[in-house]
Amino acid sequence: MSATTPTIATAARAVTLRKVYGEGDAAVEALRGVTIEFAKGEFTAIMGPSGSGKSTLLHCIAGLDAPTEGNVFIGDVDLTGLSEKQLTALRRDKVGFVFQAFNLVPTLTAAENITLPLDIAGRDVQRAWLDEVVDTIGLRDRLGHRPSQLSGGQQQRVAAARALVSRPEIVFADEPTGNLDSRSGAELLGFLREAVTTYGQTIVMVTHDASAASYSDRVVFLGDGLVVDEMREPTAERVLDRLKSLES
Amino acid sequence: MWRATFKSLLAKKLRLVLTAVSVVLGVGFVAGTYVLTDTMNAAFDQLFAQTSEASDVVVRSVSAFDPSVAEGGGGGGGEDRKPVPESLLDDVLAVPGVAAAAGDVQGYAQMVDPATDEVIGGVGPPTIGTNWNELADQVLEIREGSPPTGSDDVVIDAATARASNLAVGDRIRILFQGPPREFTISGIAGFGDADNLGGATLAVFETETAQEVLDKQGVYDAISVVAEEGVSATQLRASVAEALPERVEAVTSTSVADEQSKALQEGLGFFRTALLVFAFVALFVGSFIIFNTFSIIVAQRTRELALLRALGASRRQVIVSVVVEAFVVGLVASVLGILAGIGIAVGLQGLLGLFNIDLPSTALQLLPRTIVVSMVVGVVVTVAASILPARRAGTVAPIQALREADDAPPSRSLAGRRLAVAVAVTALGAAALLYGLFGAESNGASIVGLGAAVTFIGVAMLSPLAAKPIAGALGAPLRRLSVQGRLGRENAMRSPRRTASTAAALMIGLGLVSMVAILAASLKASFDAALTETLKADYTLSTSSFTSFSPDVADRVAALPEVATVSPFRQNGFRVDGSTSFVTAVDPETVEEVATLDVSEGSVSSLAEGRNVVLVHRDVAAEHGWSLGDEVPAEFASTGDVPLTIGGIYDENRLVGDYVISLETYDELYTEHLDSFVLVRGADGVPLDQVADAVTAAAAEFPNVQVQDQAAFREQQAGFIDQLLGLVTALLAMAILIALFGIVNTLGLSIYERTRELGLLRAVGMSRVQVKRMIRWESVIIAVFGAVLGVVIGVLFGWALQQALQDDGVSEFVVPVGQLVTYLVLAGLAGVLAAIWPARRAAKLDVLEAIAYE
Repeated sequence: MSATTPTIATAARAVTLRKVYGEGDAAVEALRGVTIEFAKGEFTAIMGPSGSGKSTLLHCIAGLDAPTEGNVFIGDVDLTGLSEKQLTALRRDKVGFVFQAFNLVPTLTAAENITLPLDIAGRDVQRAWLDEVVDTIGLRDRLGHRPSQLSGGQQQRVAAARALVSRPEIVFADEPTGNLDSRSGAELLGFLREAVTTYGQTIVMVTHDASAASYSDRVVFLGDGLVVDEMREPTAERVLDRLKSLES
Repeated sequence: MWRATFKSLLAKKLRLVLTAVSVVLGVGFVAGTYVLTDTMNAAFDQLFAQTSEASDVVVRSVSAFDPSVAEGGGGGGGEDRKPVPESLLDDVLAVPGVAAAAGDVQGYAQMVDPATDEVIGGVGPPTIGTNWNELADQVLEIREGSPPTGSDDVVIDAATARASNLAVGDRIRILFQGPPREFTISGIAGFGDADNLGGATLAVFETETAQEVLDKQGVYDAISVVAEEGVSATQLRASVAEALPERVEAVTSTSVADEQSKALQEGLGFFRTALLVFAFVALFVGSFIIFNTFSIIVAQRTRELALLRALGASRRQVIVSVVVEAFVVGLVASVLGILAGIGIAVGLQGLLGLFNIDLPSTALQLLPRTIVVSMVVGVVVTVAASILPARRAGTVAPIQALREADDAPPSRSLAGRRLAVAVAVTALGAAALLYGLFGAESNGASIVGLGAAVTFIGVAMLSPLAAKPIAGALGAPLRRLSVQGRLGRENAMRSPRRTASTAAALMIGLGLVSMVAILAASLKASFDAALTETLKADYTLSTSSFTSFSPDVADRVAALPEVATVSPFRQNGFRVDGSTSFVTAVDPETVEEVATLDVSEGSVSSLAEGRNVVLVHRDVAAEHGWSLGDEVPAEFASTGDVPLTIGGIYDENRLVGDYVISLETYDELYTEHLDSFVLVRGADGVPLDQVADAVTAAAAEFPNVQVQDQAAFREQQAGFIDQLLGLVTALLAMAILIALFGIVNTLGLSIYERTRELGLLRAVGMSRVQVKRMIRWESVIIAVFGAVLGVVIGVLFGWALQQALQDDGVSEFVVPVGQLVTYLVLAGLAGVLAAIWPARRAAKLDVLEAIAYE
C-alpha cells in the first residue's frame, strides 16, 4: 500500500477495512470497508448501536484482531503482515489499553500494574512521568494496594494510568465507564480528557454512552459495518439526537 | 440432576482425562503387580507340573522344614535333604506295582561360557546339575545330539545353548562343589516347548559321572518311581512306603509339585507385598491429586452449582453429583488402569531384568481377582478423595449464582480449629511411626507404614501454612529478575491451599526417595565402619551375586606359599525356637586371624573342642536368657532337632551374624558344603600385590569368584546398596510421575481460571515466550516447594529408621547432602517439564476471546 503515504499528524488509521466472521452461509460481515484516521492528540469516540462493528473496529486497529481485508497503520507501521511477535511488541510499546473490566492483574499492586507494560518490555520507568500520572489520577496513597482493595472507579483509573505511563502512540478504551457509576465514570473521563489536553495523548474510545462521548473531540458513528457519520465538538444532546436518527 | 452431572463430565473431557491419569497409573501399578506375580506363579506351576509328570511317586529322605525357595542357596535344590543310599533303588524296584524306578542326583553345576570365560547364570534362578536316568526322557527332550553316555558328556538346556551360542561337540568347563571339569556337549535338550526351567540353567550328566561331580558317590538325592498300569499313585505310594527305612519317605509326584508351588507362592507373596507397597504409595499420591482436582473444580463451578441450587437442587443432590462424577472417573480410570497394568507388568519385568533378576514367563495372567481388586481400589480411592470437595460443594449457597465470580477463589487461611486438627494428625502419625519403629512387638512394618501415611496427610494439612512463606522465599530471587518471574511467584502464592496440596503429592514421593537415600548412605557408612573394625584380612573371595562357591577355591589358595591364612565362611538358615535364623560356619583355628569377634566369655577354640558347639552374640544370649554351657534348641532341615551347646559369647556380629558354628559341625548338619566367602591374609614379607596375583591365578578356573581387597570389597557392597537404592527409587518413580501429573493438572485448571488475566497480560504486550516463562516459574516453585517438604520429612524419617535399625548394624547416620540437593534440582527441572503443556496452552490463548466480556 505504497499509494497511501502516511501523514505525520496521524496516530493511527484504517484503510478499507473489512472483517468477516465465519464462512459460507454463516458468514457475518462485521466491517464492510471502513476507512478512518485518528489525528495525533485527538480524543475520538466511536459510537453506534450494538452489532454496528465498533468493538471489532477497535480490536482490528489495536492489533488484537486481524482484518479480513484492508490495512491498519499505527503511526507509520503497517499492521498487515506483522507476525504475532511483532504485534505483541507493538501493543506493548505503542498502544495503551483500558478495558471495560478485568483491567488489572490481581496479584500485582496498583503501582506494579501501572508499570506492567514497561516491566514486560524490560524498560526503565521514567520516575517524573510516573509521578505526574499517579498524581493526576489521584491515587498516590493507594499504590501499594491490590486491585481487590480498590473500588471499581479506582481500578479503572489505575488502568488508565497504566495505558498512559509508557507514552504510547495511541490509547484504546473499550467502554471504560461501562461498569462504573456516573460519578466514577465522570472522574475517569475527566482524567482521559486531561491526558489529551495537557499531554497531547491520542485516545480512541468505544462507548454507547452519549455523555461519555461528550468528553471527546470527535465522535464517529458506525452503522452496519460502515462509518455513517461524524461529529466535531459533541455534546451529549447532539450525540443522542444523532443516535436516534441513525437508529430510525 | 443426573443429566447435569454427566453433561458436566462430558463437557470437560480433558479435565476427566487429566484427573483420571493419576488413578490410571496407581491402579495400573496394583494391577501390574498382580499380573506379574500371577504370571510368574503360573509359569512355575506349569513347570512343576511338567517335571512331576515323569513319575508317580518320589522317594526321598524327610526334611524337618517345609521346602522353601527362599533358602535355595547356590546349590540348585530347594529344601535341604540328606541323600538316600544307592542300594535303596533295588528295594524300591522290588516293591509290587512298581513298573520302573530311577535314582535322581541334583547339585550345583555352573557352566562357564567358553567364549567369554564368564559364568552363565547364577543370579536368581539356580544353576542345576543332574543325572540322565531311565526316566529322564519323560521330562527332557533331546533336540540335538544324544543323551550323555560317557564321563566326558554333558547335555545342556536349549536356552543356555542359544544364549551362549553353544553347539553339540563344543567343549565347556563346569564349576562344581569340587574341582571344575571340562566336558563335551553331547546334546541340547528342552522341556516340551520350553527352552529351560524357569530361568534355571541345566547340565545333565550320565548318572555315575553326576554322582562323582556333584559329590553324591553311592547315593541318590531321590528315587523317582513309575507305577504299573492299573496302580494309582496313592496305592503305589503306600506300598513303596512300607519298604523304606526310617527318615525316608514316599510321596506322590503331584504332592511334590504342590509343595513346590506352595513354597513358591510364599516367596512370591513377599515379592507381591513389596510391590503392592509401592503401588499403594502411588495410589496414595494419586488420591491427593484427585482431592486437589475436585477441590479446584468445585471452586470453579461455584456459579453452576449455585444455579442448580437456585433451581431447586438440594444440598444432598449437589454433593451426590460431585461424588457421582468421582465415581465415574474412578470407574473409567480403573478400567484403563487394568489395561495399563498389563503394560506395567511387562515394564516391571523389564525393570527387574535390568537389576539382574530374571523371571520365568508364560502367557500374561489376568485373573478375575486382579480385576475386582483393581476396580474396587480405584473407585474407592477416587470417591474417598472426592468426599471433602463434595461436601464443600454442598455448602455453595444459591445466592452465589447471582454474584460476579471472583477471579480468584478466596484462600482461606488455616483457622484455629483446622490448625489444631492438622497438628493433631501430624502428631498422631509421627507417634504411630515411632511406636512402630521402636515399641511394637508385632506388625511393626504395617504400623510404620500407616504412621508414615498419616504423617504425610498431617503435613499436607499443615503445608498451606508454609506455602506462602516458602513459595515466597523460593521465588524471592525471581522478583528482581523479571516481571514474569514475579508473576509466577505471586501465582504460586495466591492460593496456598492449592499450591500446598499440589506440592504435597510430590512431597510424598520425594520424602520416601530421600529417606531411602539416607538409609542407603547410612548403610554404606555402617558397612564401612564394620569392615574397618571387624575385617583383618587382606583379601576377600566371594562371588559377585553372593552365591556360594566351591571350597576347592579355598584349598587351592591355601596351598600358595604367598598366603599365610585362608579362612572360609559358610552361611545357611536354621531354626531356633521355631523361627528362622542364620548361622555362620567358621574355621575355629584361623577365624581370629582374619576377623574380629570380640569373644567376651568362653572362646572360639571351644568350637573345635566339642561337637555341636555354638557361639552366640551377646544380645541374642541376653534376649533368650542363655549363658555359657546352655543349650540352644536348634533345628535343621536335613537333620531335625540338634541342640547346640554355647561355647562362647561374642560382641561383634556385623560380619558373622548372631550364631557361629565350626565348619566341621556345619558339614554334618547340611548336605551342601559350599563357601559363602573366604578371607585371606598374605604371608609376612610378601608384597600385597604379589599375594593378589597369586590368589587371582589360583582362583582363575572359577570365573564366578572375585578376589578383592578391602577397598574393592567395600566398593562392591556399596554397589549392591546403590543398586537396591536404584530399584526402590525406580519403583517410587511412579509416585513422582503421578505427582507431576498433579502439577500439570493444577496448572491447567488454574490457567483456565485465569483466562481473563492471561488475556489482559497478552493484550498489554506480554509475549507468548514471557507467558510460558511465567507459568514455568510457577510450576518450578510448586515443585521445589514439594521437594523441600519431602526432603525435610525424608531426613526425619531416615533418622528415625536409622535409630530403629541401630541394633541391626546400621550404626551410622549419614545425610547424603549432594544427593538430596540433586533431588531438589531435579524437582525443579521436573517442574519445568510439568509446565510444558499448561504453558503452551496459556500461550496459545486467543487474546480477544480471553478479554471478551460475558
